[in-house]
Amino acid sequence: MTSELEQELKHLIIDTLELEDVTPEDIDPDEPLFVEGLGLDSIDALELGLALQKRYGIKLEADSDETRHHFRNLRTLAALVEERRTA
Amino acid sequence: MTTPAMMYVHDWRAWQPGRRDTSQSRLSVAEKPAGGHVPAMLRRRLTGIGRALCDMLAEIDANADCPLLYASRHGDGERTLEMLNTLAEEVPLSPARFGLSVHNAIPGVYSIGRGNRRTQQAIAASGDEFAALLVEARGYLAQGEPAVIVAFAEQAIPARFAAHFTTPVDTAAVALRVSLTPTDDAWALIPRSLASDDTTEGSPQPSDLIDWLCGTRDELHCHRPRQAWSLVRAD
Repeated sequence: MTSELEQELKHLIIDTLELEDVTPEDIDPDEPLFVEGLGLDSIDALELGLALQKRYGIKLEADSDETRHHFRNLRTLAALVEERRTA
Repeated sequence: MTTPAMMYVHDWRAWQPGRRDTSQSRLSVAEKPAGGHVPAMLRRRLTGIGRALCDMLAEIDANADCPLLYASRHGDGERTLEMLNTLAEEVPLSPARFGLSVHNAIPGVYSIGRGNRRTQQAIAASGDEFAALLVEARGYLAQGEPAVIVAFAEQAIPARFAAHFTTPVDTAAVALRVSLTPTDDAWALIPRSLASDDTTEGSPQPSDLIDWLCGTRDELHCHRPRQAWSLVRAD
């Protein structure tokens, strides 16, 4: 079951990271976003961090373990936005 | 002084969207080049010209084992100006765009995508790119490289910068495989010194190279050094 916020984040990821061959259905909420699973890289992590800041007002430390946890998959990312969004 | 060894063009590919001369099998006029030889996750970071170059390089360096000498006078002007605007507005820069704003971005993505770990060079020479590429190529060949790839790419000058530039630039890219070894199907590259009073336009851009390779221009003139090159075709 994908929540509305998860759906919104899928679109944010695809648009921000210019994933031209990926559809929202291709992103499994429980699969890793980085390296394995969707296969994003470190530049994508920075880009996504910037997008979260612009869209939801969330600021993250670039190399903290906490950020690593939030970026694990779509569900952890949605939980982060739910908890910390100011916009 | 000994005469420098002759250089030969063994193969070439070119891309110029919208160009009419479509009879040339080595020329692509596709509006949206495929970039099919680069994995999708890397390809998404390339603009049309980067995709075109990767397609061309895959064809003229099938084993991805030649050094690559790449030149562009203006690089990705549109993205560079966009980033400067963003900085002026004090908005954070896109890390992906920033990462690809370096002059060697396209060769870099190509190198990762194709696993080519040979030497790469990215050159900007203020209008003398072709001459600079040949000088560099000669150096690598003289050191014993069997062949090198010479690539030259340019995009149209961004509209907001065009007022600073008198000569329009056509979006085009060209790649040649050159060596010092004559073969039956290689084209000899013949240099000729230009007279000091020769005022012919001397900053060839990629679209001029395409004219020359397609045979609609006999000589390619450069101001520095004052030299012209012609091709002796095998076919």
